[in-house]
Amino acid sequence: MSGETKGFNLLELVKKVLFTDFVKGLAITLGYNVSKSITQRYPDEEKWIPYRRWRGLHYLNRDANGKELCVACELCSKACPTRCITVIPMEDDTGRGIADRVARVWKVDLVRCLFCGYCEDACPTRALRLGREYEMACTEMVRTVRHREELLIPQAIPEDMEGGVLVRARFERTSDGIKVPPDLRHHKKRSL
Amino acid sequence: MPDTSTIIQVIIITVKVGFMTMILFALPLPLTWVERKVAGHIQVRLGPWRVGPHGLLQPFADMVKLLTKEDIVPDKADKFLFSLAPIMAMVPAFAVFVAIPFGDKFTIPFIDKDVTLYISDMNVGILYVLSIAGLGIYGVIFGGWASNSKYSLLGGLRASAQMISYEIAISFAAIGVVMMVNSLSLVDIVHAQGNGILSWNFFYLPVGPVWFAIFFIASLAEINRIPFDLPEDEGTLGAGFHTEYSGMKFAFFMLAEYIAMVTASVLMVTLFFGGWNAPFNIPLPIPQIFWFLGKVIFFIYFFMWVRFTLPRYRYDQLMSIGWKVLIPISLVNILITGLLRI
Repeated sequence: MSGETKGFNLLELVKKVLFTDFVKGLAITLGYNVSKSITQRYPDEEKWIPYRRWRGLHYLNRDANGKELCVACELCSKACPTRCITVIPMEDDTGRGIADRVARVWKVDLVRCLFCGYCEDACPTRALRLGREYEMACTEMVRTVRHREELLIPQAIPEDMEGGVLVRARFERTSDGIKVPPDLRHHKKRSL
Repeated sequence: MPDTSTIIQVIIITVKVGFMTMILFALPLPLTWVERKVAGHIQVRLGPWRVGPHGLLQPFADMVKLLTKEDIVPDKADKFLFSLAPIMAMVPAFAVFVAIPFGDKFTIPFIDKDVTLYISDMNVGILYVLSIAGLGIYGVIFGGWASNSKYSLLGGLRASAQMISYEIAISFAAIGVVMMVNSLSLVDIVHAQGNGILSWNFFYLPVGPVWFAIFFIASLAEINRIPFDLPEDEGTLGAGFHTEYSGMKFAFFMLAEYIAMVTASVLMVTLFFGGWNAPFNIPLPIPQIFWFLGKVIFFIYFFMWVRFTLPRYRYDQLMSIGWKVLIPISLVNILITGLLRI
């Protein structure tokens, strides 16, 4: 077995007879066996909250008065490399002084979207952001196009949350796809 | 007309055999779960988790899957041998347990009859166990041959070559134990180790630990487990001898493999670690079967632990360990044991 080394090495022989390497290996695997698993129990019990830089599902912001920030300038749809954003503007003549340019239709086709974030960079009023929602699987094609009304609803993970933690969650199977609503009160750092 | 005691004797044996068979059929279910859990935790994962609490129902899901899977027999296969091979692998694995002693005799309260916790106390028990366990290899060889596939054939050939190399070492280790105890009967071997931990054959210094090491390494090769699972080496042979098997026939091979692991653990406990004997004189009334099962479970865990610690040996390494290391050491060890027994 020891073909490379010429001569007789007593220490090596003793080590071989006592199976020291084998025992060392066993000790390492036993250590891992009794150590805590690093598996994230997603989606049953836990969910990963990404950092703020995460580019997930789009959402549209409102200002402090609850007015939509979007001015329907269509820069987002111009900047989009996959042309997945459709904006149709209109005059808001519901009152409150001069007429504003607002979006009548603002929709994004999530099947085409590649989540590059150019749209949020292009947005002059910071109306559009890519959020931290990443469960977009659904069973109906209709659900892959998201409209303005839905995107105006605030997402489950608020903007000011740091992210990078595991939170408690539960798994829900609804008619418009799966949902894993997070419980932001209980969170912990990832173990590894 | 036989008298009543003979009839009772027959009934007791029938019940014991039936009970044993039931246990052996059911045993692979928890063992697959345990194996996957151990694998998971050693790899810092969780293992089965979703089917039932802690994945406990996973074996049943697997069983349903195996039962309902299509049972494919390859077109060019030898149909008869192909169907015979899983049975050939399974039956010897079960038959071994006729001679295994699980505990000493105890008395049933109402009919006042002594019942032994072994089916038969053969005076050549260890010989019987080794020879019947050796027969199980025919299933593997037949399976490899009958599949008419190169991978299967290579797996079968490897299995037979491996069996020849390691059966010698394992028999020498058994001979060593027989020399230390002066009996071939497994019950006598256990009785001879009845005086506490230092009377166990493992502590028969200096030869006991060596015999145990030889027996352990050779039985790893005998039951085709990593690091010596060359007959089903998925890295080079697809799945080895059971490449072409699916459904229930594959399940029989798995069953035989798990039972062979239990057999190896049981033999190690019986031959080297005192069988059902307690290590110390403990004043508490702990049943013997508890000690026996505890030791067996430890060794089953140890087999799994080794499986996820060591990588697989190359085939020529396997052969050289068998012929150049284990057999010479066991020959020398027989000499030393003989000198000690004078």
